[in-house]
Amino acid sequence: MKHVIIGAGAAGITAAKTIRERHINDEIVIISTDEAVYSRCMLHHYISGQRSLQALSFVTDDFFKDNNIKWLSNVTVAHIDTKGRQVVLECGGYESYDRLLIATGAQSAFPDIKGLSGTLGVFGLRDLPDARAIAEKAVKAEHVVILGAGLVGMDAAYGLLALGKKPVVVEMAKNILSVNLDSMAAAAYQEQFEQAGASFKLEAKICEVLSDARGAISSVELSDGEQLPCDLLIIATSIRPNVKWLESSGISLERGVVVDKYLTTSAEGVYAAGDVTGISGTWPDAMSQGETAAMNMCGCAVAYSDFIPPMKCTMSFFGIPTLSVGRFIASDGDEVTLRMSKDRYEKVVMRDDIPVGVILQGDISRSGYWQYLIKNQVSTAGIQKPIWKVSFADAYSIESNGEYKWVL
Amino acid sequence: MKRIMIETEKCKGCKNCAIACMKAHMPDGVPFSLTDTRLEARNVILLDKDKQYRPLFCRHCDNPSCIKSCMSGAMTKDSATGHVYYDPKQCAGCFMCVMSCPFGVLKPDRATKTTVIKCDFCKDHGSEPSCVKQCINQAIHVEEV
Amino acid sequence: MTQRFSCTTCLSADKPLERFVADLPMETSFHRVETQEVKCEFGLQGCCCRLCANGPCRITPDSPKGICGADADTLVARNFLRAVAAGSGCYIHVVENAARALKDIAKEKGALKGLKALDRLCAKLEVSGSDIYEKAEKAADAVLADLYRPVFEKMELTKKLAYAPRYEKWEALGLLPGGAKSEVFAGTVKSSTNLNSDPVDMLLHCLRLGISTGLYGLMMTNMLNDIIQGEPEIRFASVGMRVIDPDYINIMITGHQHALFAHLQNRLTDDDIVKQAQAVGAKGFKLVGCTCVGQDLQLRAAHAVGLFDGHAGNNFTSEAILATGAIDAVLTEFNCTLPGIEPICDALKIKQICLDTIAKKANAQTMQYGFESRESDANSIISDIIEAYKVRRNDVPLNLLPEHGNDNTLTGLSEVTLKSFLGETWQPLIELIATGKIKGLAAVVGCSNLVSGGHDVLTVELTKELIAKDILVLTAGCSSGGIENCGLMTPEAAELAGPSLKAVCQSLGIPPVLNFGPCLAIGRLELIAVEIAEALGVDLPQLPLVLSAPQWLEEQALADGAFALALGLPLHLGLPPFVTGSPIAVQVLCEDMKQLTGGHVMINGDAAESAVLMEEIIMQKRKDLNLA
Repeated sequence: MKHVIIGAGAAGITAAKTIRERHINDEIVIISTDEAVYSRCMLHHYISGQRSLQALSFVTDDFFKDNNIKWLSNVTVAHIDTKGRQVVLECGGYESYDRLLIATGAQSAFPDIKGLSGTLGVFGLRDLPDARAIAEKAVKAEHVVILGAGLVGMDAAYGLLALGKKPVVVEMAKNILSVNLDSMAAAAYQEQFEQAGASFKLEAKICEVLSDARGAISSVELSDGEQLPCDLLIIATSIRPNVKWLESSGISLERGVVVDKYLTTSAEGVYAAGDVTGISGTWPDAMSQGETAAMNMCGCAVAYSDFIPPMKCTMSFFGIPTLSVGRFIASDGDEVTLRMSKDRYEKVVMRDDIPVGVILQGDISRSGYWQYLIKNQVSTAGIQKPIWKVSFADAYSIESNGEYKWVL
Repeated sequence: MKRIMIETEKCKGCKNCAIACMKAHMPDGVPFSLTDTRLEARNVILLDKDKQYRPLFCRHCDNPSCIKSCMSGAMTKDSATGHVYYDPKQCAGCFMCVMSCPFGVLKPDRATKTTVIKCDFCKDHGSEPSCVKQCINQAIHVEEV
Repeated sequence: MTQRFSCTTCLSADKPLERFVADLPMETSFHRVETQEVKCEFGLQGCCCRLCANGPCRITPDSPKGICGADADTLVARNFLRAVAAGSGCYIHVVENAARALKDIAKEKGALKGLKALDRLCAKLEVSGSDIYEKAEKAADAVLADLYRPVFEKMELTKKLAYAPRYEKWEALGLLPGGAKSEVFAGTVKSSTNLNSDPVDMLLHCLRLGISTGLYGLMMTNMLNDIIQGEPEIRFASVGMRVIDPDYINIMITGHQHALFAHLQNRLTDDDIVKQAQAVGAKGFKLVGCTCVGQDLQLRAAHAVGLFDGHAGNNFTSEAILATGAIDAVLTEFNCTLPGIEPICDALKIKQICLDTIAKKANAQTMQYGFESRESDANSIISDIIEAYKVRRNDVPLNLLPEHGNDNTLTGLSEVTLKSFLGETWQPLIELIATGKIKGLAAVVGCSNLVSGGHDVLTVELTKELIAKDILVLTAGCSSGGIENCGLMTPEAAELAGPSLKAVCQSLGIPPVLNFGPCLAIGRLELIAVEIAEALGVDLPQLPLVLSAPQWLEEQALADGAFALALGLPLHLGLPPFVTGSPIAVQVLCEDMKQLTGGHVMINGDAAESAVLMEEIIMQKRKDLNLA
């Protein structure tokens, strides 16, 4: 059996590893446009110079050799011939497959802003070329503007602050990190970022990008008319699944590649996993999908169950860790419990005795059970103690092999 | 693989296991102290709603959620021992593993909040867990599973 | 959408206090409960021994004996005796200082505010003299002589202070104590490494310490303080943090030694001192009560008019009281002074002065009380506090809690004032009990701790359960401070009582819970019990009277408990006193004690269940007395 995997990100690498664990003799080929295996979640550490390209890798140096995987790096796939079961490469040549996994991830999506298209000095922050370009440009850049104060935008700001830059972050929402945090938790970070030299334009949009005679960006104009000088603009507003190249393949596409619960696409023997499916955009989800797709590629029917996962993230800026899971903005009928002290802010949103959202900021020690409670909609009604004291201890059970099991 | 088996009914909450763990994982040049925030136990004893002791020790799961959430490659399952090891040098401190452990075993380190506190089965001590050696109630023991 | 604020702090029966502490920007004991939640079972059961270098030895099924061979019974009894001896030592220190203070004042012919109390004490001790000073000095000498006796010489006043049937019982059991200090000494030696291994002997020693603690440390201390500081007077008072008036220079007092404040208390209202306060912008000085010495001052507040603001709260309220920012200094002379107040004092620039090196605090100034230097000491303390006031008041923001507490708590109760209220006879109370309008009496005494459901939680819930069963509750200790802040000592609280107790309270205009003040007042409750028993012609164990220290905290409380057992009273505790690892200790304390002294210990952490247990005992005793 020959498995071809397109993409060497979280989903693709996990899938390769999973296939190898199950089938020692199957042939595995990974094809990636990327020249290296790297974690895109760490690209801001590359910009700041804290990590080399090698240190961005999330696999061991000998990963491909040890696992007997053929890796075609720096190679872009032009087309998939689903009838002939082969992948046609841009450079000419092809790879045939018995099972194919599409794990090409997503790419930055730029909003429609007057003057943006074609202007020099404007980058997304999604892949290594982006990070390289930003790092190079940042050496001389004096006026960095970041559009979007989500996790990518704030990571970019954090990396640039480490280089001594003073980025201005422009964000449509009322607070930074608005997808992940409530205004209280966001304010704690905003204050730290501001102290470190960043500044914020909230509830603001860039309505025009202005450039100089050479076509390089010179300033941006905000919706209230304010002009910000700008020689480096990073766009971190949204991403879209990387599917344009598949349009001619006959594989069903919507926003991303359409998959069933076995992560099978409309084409026989073709699977998809990770951001390219558009199901969710977190690293653990991509790994989990990669693993599930691989199991199915190996002939073991495993259904993926997490199609509508709750929002979940952790972050850590300026030594303040935060965990945020689920719906942290309360609505009518919810019960909210807050706990605040000097260095901590914690919030739980409950609905009918079921935790639906949590934010823990400052101390996230031993807090992994929150995701379990929220994802599995566990009712805490039978546990007679304050919600803060509820933990796995209240559902504690040990299986015969010594593993823990939730029993409530 | 070897796993630390737990007999909860034998636990008396004395925290010898926590102290043994702190002593087995002292940063270089840091002497043992019960008040030095740099010393941390990988294990903890929780109480359930009926005030029963519930010892929380890393299970080195067969299918570890921490590894499946690690974006830096810092968490790996050793194919020989089956134990889940953590490499602080590779870790980027994103703490997705902390969020992903469904039992709430993992935590950021208290002093710097940049690394993760994770059981290593005392691999630097002959893979004989110090906590097990120090449990005077025999509430924990090592078993091949 | 309902929004609740909760925090890492523990619960309190006192909800305004609970919220106040939860919102504080500084850490308090309430915050630390969570981080100390997991307790070691060996410690809890008293089965850890650190008496020698072979230790700590801990008892498990696989290691049933320490290296020395001591088993769980010996370990537990030793640990328990050490604790009771230390607790007794605390109270004996207090009575020693009170007796010395009385003697010093008498020699100098200084002010004595309670002359009737002096007469009563002299009558009891059969002491006479040509004037009050000679009488006072001779009484003080008699007390001191007893305290300082060797262990092999029985104390002489025991027979005069004890109820005769009890004295006979104790004599028969060989429990009459030698010199009170020597008994502490003996208890400490006995429980040292490889000495006594007989658990029963050590438990009986605890009873002996209980007797010396109760008769001298508790009862005698009140009598001496009543002479020096004046007797309690019944009145309605404001309690809780509302009593704090930021227009004054406020001094919070904590401890147990009211005698040490005598001179300072008088001085603070002198014109020249008030003028000094006014010169820095304050209206004068106020004392804010906290812990037992605050309760003592509350009882005797009629003798400190214009100076005492009221009692603000008990032991675990002290951090909150300081956090109001309106306290300028803390005067401490004894225990229940939490180390946790120290960083708060530093942060809020509150001057800390210790009047007794026994209770020396790490970051406080020491000003050991001495009779000869009282004048200059008082002046120096006052000027230091004025300095602190000047520095801090411009600087430290106020965070008052004026809604805390209430304005009509009945206080000033004592064995004398209650009897006087009843018409100089116990007969009306006896009638109420005999007719069943009051089923019986429950003394809810002792401390507050933070682990019996939270601060004052079990105490207050148990008290509510008891009064609902028509049982009249009498309090002494930090339990008083908690219960009064929760409003149960106001006449309105009669609504919470059972129908017949409610009717009694309403007709007399009294609350269903009577506040006798500090833990020392356990001695007053004993006197009341004795007088009622005398009137009925019975011994104490026959009375429909139960004792509870629902939230006992300290070693002192264990010595109090030993006194209760020596008196033959049923004693309820919310938490076991680290003895459950010993089958013999449990058997002796909970069962065999019934045959020895008539008392016994019962442990129950649930308010409703505990109240049922206590009611059952009262009903049985009523039956045995042929009361309906």
